[in-house]
Amino acid sequence: MSTLAARQADFMAQLLEDDRPLPAGWTPRHAAGLNIYRNAYRARLVDALRDTYERTARWVGEDAFRAAAAHHVIKTPPNSWTLDHVAEGFVEVLEELFANDPEVAELAWLEWAMHRAFVAADIAPLDAAGFAAASAGFAEEDWAGLRLSFLPSLHLRVLAHDVGALRNALAADEFEAPGYLMPAPRPMIVWREDLRPTFMPVGDAEGHALGEMMRGVSYGEMVESLAGQIGDEDAVMQAGAMLGRWLGNGLIAGLN
Amino acid sequence: MSAIDPFSGFGLGLRRDHYQDFLSGDVPVDFAEIISENYMVDGGRPLATLDQVRAKLPVIMHGVSMSIGSANGLDNDYLARLKQLAERVEPLWISDHLCWTRTSAHNSHDLLPLPYTAEALEVVCGNIDHAQNVLGRAMLFENPSSYLIFLDDEMAEWEFLSEMTHRTGCYLLLDVNNIYVSAQNHGFSADEFLAGIPADRVRQIHLAGHTPGQQPDNILIDTHDRAVCDNVWALYAKACAMLGPVATMIERDDAIPPLPELLAELDHAREIAGSALSGSPATVTA
Repeated sequence: MSTLAARQADFMAQLLEDDRPLPAGWTPRHAAGLNIYRNAYRARLVDALRDTYERTARWVGEDAFRAAAAHHVIKTPPNSWTLDHVAEGFVEVLEELFANDPEVAELAWLEWAMHRAFVAADIAPLDAAGFAAASAGFAEEDWAGLRLSFLPSLHLRVLAHDVGALRNALAADEFEAPGYLMPAPRPMIVWREDLRPTFMPVGDAEGHALGEMMRGVSYGEMVESLAGQIGDEDAVMQAGAMLGRWLGNGLIAGLN
Repeated sequence: MSAIDPFSGFGLGLRRDHYQDFLSGDVPVDFAEIISENYMVDGGRPLATLDQVRAKLPVIMHGVSMSIGSANGLDNDYLARLKQLAERVEPLWISDHLCWTRTSAHNSHDLLPLPYTAEALEVVCGNIDHAQNVLGRAMLFENPSSYLIFLDDEMAEWEFLSEMTHRTGCYLLLDVNNIYVSAQNHGFSADEFLAGIPADRVRQIHLAGHTPGQQPDNILIDTHDRAVCDNVWALYAKACAMLGPVATMIERDDAIPPLPELLAELDHAREIAGSALSGSPATVTA
């Protein structure tokens, strides 16, 4: 390792570890300068997390959020050039730290999904006419083998709390704790309409079907799985209706 | 490496708080400067907004993550994304800082200080050569603010900058506030700094505010969260007299005020630059 590489590795370690001994010859003035870099490093990362998880920070309060953010940064120091990557894995950290308040990680998931949707690749969704043209002349086996690609902004998760309502309430400063547990868990989808990230709850069967097709399952396999839940006759009709809604909402990028 | 032609306008950083101002009207600036990394994304509103601003104004790409002083070399994925953005924006130029931000294991997302040694100069120049070759253009590098200096420095910062431009053909982004902050923190003469840099390589000036030092260490911090102070305006007047017409920008990254406040600061920069260039006495208070 070169002298410069060794020096930079040590300086980085100084930023990450409060109690690391100072390099030989360093004075209190050096220590004061180092503290400025150390504080700036942590503040920037915590600010980046607060920027992405703004509503989550408001929900848990500033002190609790700062502690969670500091825990995340210490546990997973960043290694990418983009600050966006600092926010990766924070939902899982919140699941662990707020195990008794599961709405916290669910709200954070919604914010993280919306953030990713905000900067996802610009891909024009396939509309109903485009789908009809692409599937014209499909034989039964073509339908069975049909696989879909979805917009890169699309995310799906089953949530126990109505964090969509919580998120909106936080924006209006009209939230009440706790009060957001739903009677039963429900799938939520997040995607981007033109430039605006948006979210919408969907039914259980639709969430399951969409999740399977996002994982690369074929249309025929999805219908078969649906039939196991609601019966053969309804499955074909329901699958067609879901496909229509996905096209209508602009979730589908193309046919594979 | 091809030369960068001088461009002597006055500009502002494009910040989210002012997106609507830039999109809905004619902001009286000659260019907008972006933080490159904020637009090195796959798509969505940031790039759509940038495209609209670019249709109205020349744009400068100013980065914070190249880590030109990294002993581990440059991140080629980063360079590829930067080049992709440059092809979309067709900027006046691309700049970054004379600093390092990463090791092979971690990224600090902060502008960390380099020792001014022959070894560091060798590393920096090799990295600049690599970056300029990948990007296919000469770059500008900014003098950073720093809060400590190394015991084994072998040259002054301005000597390092001068040799760096000579060896690589790169240009300088002179941050006048950073000169002031570092001069105060390390006890060197800001005038000596100005006199020591190659004036013909400076293509842009940054002006910004800093946080005053606290006792007992009294270290100034480059926070970009307040107006430019009188001492920095005075140094800017000297820089203008020395450099001639150079693109100048007010850089505000935190506590961002309404646009008219920044435009008033930019008007003050115009006034000082005009006075300095005409040889008439400059009024340096804001």
